[in-house]
Amino acid sequence: MKTIYNEKQNKHSKMIKDLQNLPRVETPENFEYNLMTRIKNKNFGNIEKAKPVFNWVRFLAPSAVAVTTIILLFIFLPSSQQTDNPLLYQTQKLDSQSIVNKSDAAGKEIINQPSSKQNSNSAISERSVDPNYPIQNISPRIPFGASRSVSLDDYISGGNNPRNLQRGNIVNSGNESVPSDRFFVVENPDQNTLKKYRAQVDSLKKAQMKADSLKKVQKMP
Amino acid sequence: MNKRLTELKDEELIKEFQDSNTLEAYEILVKRYKDSLMNFVYRFVGDRDACTDIVQDTMIKFYLNKDSYRSFAKFSTWIYTIAGNLAKNELKRRRRRVIFSISNSDDERTPQIEDKMFLSPEKLTDGEIKSEIIEKALLKVKPVYREVVILRDIQNLSYEEISEITGLAIGTVKSRINRGRAQLQKLLKHIYKE
Repeated sequence: MKTIYNEKQNKHSKMIKDLQNLPRVETPENFEYNLMTRIKNKNFGNIEKAKPVFNWVRFLAPSAVAVTTIILLFIFLPSSQQTDNPLLYQTQKLDSQSIVNKSDAAGKEIINQPSSKQNSNSAISERSVDPNYPIQNISPRIPFGASRSVSLDDYISGGNNPRNLQRGNIVNSGNESVPSDRFFVVENPDQNTLKKYRAQVDSLKKAQMKADSLKKVQKMP
Repeated sequence: MNKRLTELKDEELIKEFQDSNTLEAYEILVKRYKDSLMNFVYRFVGDRDACTDIVQDTMIKFYLNKDSYRSFAKFSTWIYTIAGNLAKNELKRRRRRVIFSISNSDDERTPQIEDKMFLSPEKLTDGEIKSEIIEKALLKVKPVYREVVILRDIQNLSYEEISEITGLAIGTVKSRINRGRAQLQKLLKHIYKE
């Protein structure tokens, strides 16, 4: 490559020599004077200071636009997940162990719910559950605990208070704590247990009636 | 003028100007480069008044942007770059003016080189006329080739310096110089027989 360039240079050697011998052009005599006058008067015309290569504004503005675009895309882009139609849900049966009495085809449940409005009468509701009826498997929150239970003994003896009643979702008897799963008793309720509970409730009712009658008697002059 | 400053190299002078804002250092550099820049810009643009303004603007840009000079580069290449860019801007402005110009008077037309063909060979060898012909032919070479030919053959800069000024690779610089010379030779074929 060097030889090619050298040969070409030799070819143009006369012309190059004439170029080198061209008369030199010089600045006018008052060039420096005019220049320094312009500098002193700060007469710079359209000449501006060179802008720095890296400008924060020039960097931030387009990057802010890019970031905003990305955020808007995430917000407004339709989700790939389709929302489920609740009507198309296939209901699932609950676990039969916790609901159905194996010995009894049509199990009955007794749920005691102390009503906050009815202070004198205990609210008893019975609900019969058909084991074949499909129930949705819903995972509940269990708001039970020792602090939310009502002591039956206290209730019978009259040591209860409205606060106690309002808290309770389940009824304790004695010192036993009732194991519960959701609103249902975990253990399979056998007949004896059911009779026992019924007896307790009956005794409670009778005690309440006695108490009412005694009050009436006391009021009479 | 301070004798100590006049003995300093270009890079030392500009450092002095950058650090202490010594106007004397600036004036020394202006004195050193004003004529060579004038010669370069005149050969490139062709108009004496315009090239005086260009060289002045170059020096003012140098004054305003002294801090943008980095000491790892040569001062000469830096100031030639500024002058070259201003000269190219002037050419672009002229081209736009020619497009939109509606004047068509014969007085404004520059004489063609071929007009000189009618002169006798003795007159063609006269130095002044020959120089004038070469100058005019040089202005007809493409600007991208013209710039490098001027820097190499008239200003006697090295290929490395020209590469730094123009921002081109050395190979590109060499190839453009050869093409520029070839074009010029073609325009001056009646003077330089191949």
